[in-house]
Amino acid sequence: MRGRYRVSVQNKKIIYEFELVRNITVIRGDSASGKTTLIDMLSQYEQNGDSSGISLKCEKRCVVLTAVRWKENLDSIHESIVFIDENSRFITSDDFARAVKTSDCYFVIVTRDNLYNLPYSVDEIYGIRESGKYAGLKKCYNEFYRIYSGATMADSLPECVLTEDSNSGYEFFEALSRDKGIECISAGGKSHVAAVLSAMSGRACLVIADGAAFGCEMNRITELLNAGSAIVLYLPESFEWLILKSGLVDGRRIEELLEHPEDHVESSEYFSWERFFSSVLISETEGTYLKYSKEKLNDAYLQEREKNAIIEAMDRIGDLFR
Amino acid sequence: MLSIYFGDHDDEIYDPATYFLNQYEDEWITDELSEKMIQDVDRSKVVGAHIIESPVLGAITPRELSGGVKTLILLAFDDGDHIFNASACGDNCAPWIEKIASEKDIRITLHHIMHFGEDVEAMILNEGKAVKGFREYLMTAIKYV
Repeated sequence: MRGRYRVSVQNKKIIYEFELVRNITVIRGDSASGKTTLIDMLSQYEQNGDSSGISLKCEKRCVVLTAVRWKENLDSIHESIVFIDENSRFITSDDFARAVKTSDCYFVIVTRDNLYNLPYSVDEIYGIRESGKYAGLKKCYNEFYRIYSGATMADSLPECVLTEDSNSGYEFFEALSRDKGIECISAGGKSHVAAVLSAMSGRACLVIADGAAFGCEMNRITELLNAGSAIVLYLPESFEWLILKSGLVDGRRIEELLEHPEDHVESSEYFSWERFFSSVLISETEGTYLKYSKEKLNDAYLQEREKNAIIEAMDRIGDLFR
Repeated sequence: MLSIYFGDHDDEIYDPATYFLNQYEDEWITDELSEKMIQDVDRSKVVGAHIIESPVLGAITPRELSGGVKTLILLAFDDGDHIFNASACGDNCAPWIEKIASEKDIRITLHHIMHFGEDVEAMILNEGKAVKGFREYLMTAIKYV
């Protein structure tokens, strides 16, 4: 499944409206914000349709998946939006991760569990908030709000740079950091970022990670920020996305693809957008001087013009390295 | 005293909301502590053991309380020596968990890092050690969830 889908579900008292753009969306946040009520309404609509008194508008079928025979049920669901309520223990299993990976559905999962085996984006973690009465009616209008933002800002260069990546992305940022005389460390994978940060005891650190799959780490990193750790976050979709955004790989197709990735990323083919952007960059640079490999950075990306183009694509964080 | 186990625990009640539906007692709902927790977290007023007034849903029963408040009520009143999954609670429940733990011994599991107050004190069951203050709690939690 690919594309952007608007979901509107309402009864006499409540309206929920939100938009989904990726295969995995996570809903968390405070208790009593209406998460379970949303799932209950979708479930009632699924059972009784319009006669439930609930109105549901969405281009795709909306299905509630419960723990009972979840695997068999999921096998028979296609091109749909699958909602899962909290306290469904199966969502942390490897079996579930495997099923999501090859599914042609989008998933909306209500949970505070960090779901380390699902590569979800920092941009697709939402809370639900009430936005007052809707259009003068005595209805509460509920919308999703983004819990985390992809970047926090720093005015000056931090003492060190920490990358999630240990390969090409690390090599690139290590070269930029070396130019500025600061240390660049690889965490050796996203699951180690929080542990490395917590061992740094107060050093101001710029964390660079692939936002497209870093959602599972945001609870830990945010609490470190709340506890006063001097962390600046820079979470582009991925290093490959940055290269594509830099304009080094020319073409109208790339521009259009970056503008609306959701129209191009087939959920059953790509577990996350990060993998999609890698695949695009590898195929677009094949046979050119920019031939890209995830494992080892092509020296061409460290040439002055190419390096500066990527720094430019980093927007305000790029200013730190100019 | 608050005891926390980070991650899956064989004996935990992972879905406290369902356990609550089958185990709660009427007098738990009308206890002053429950009334305060329901008002604060769910913004709802207890009218009686079977009726609660929600600003959004209108008149509801205890069955429609939020999963967070159901878990808080279990922590406060269930005497079965159970270990409840407090990841069913949002951060807006954290002060109440600390308050309940100041008056009785409770055990919870956490599958995420709950945002407790600066002065949180807890026994971390994974390590058998006590932590004092949010930073020490956080540094321990990061190892497990």
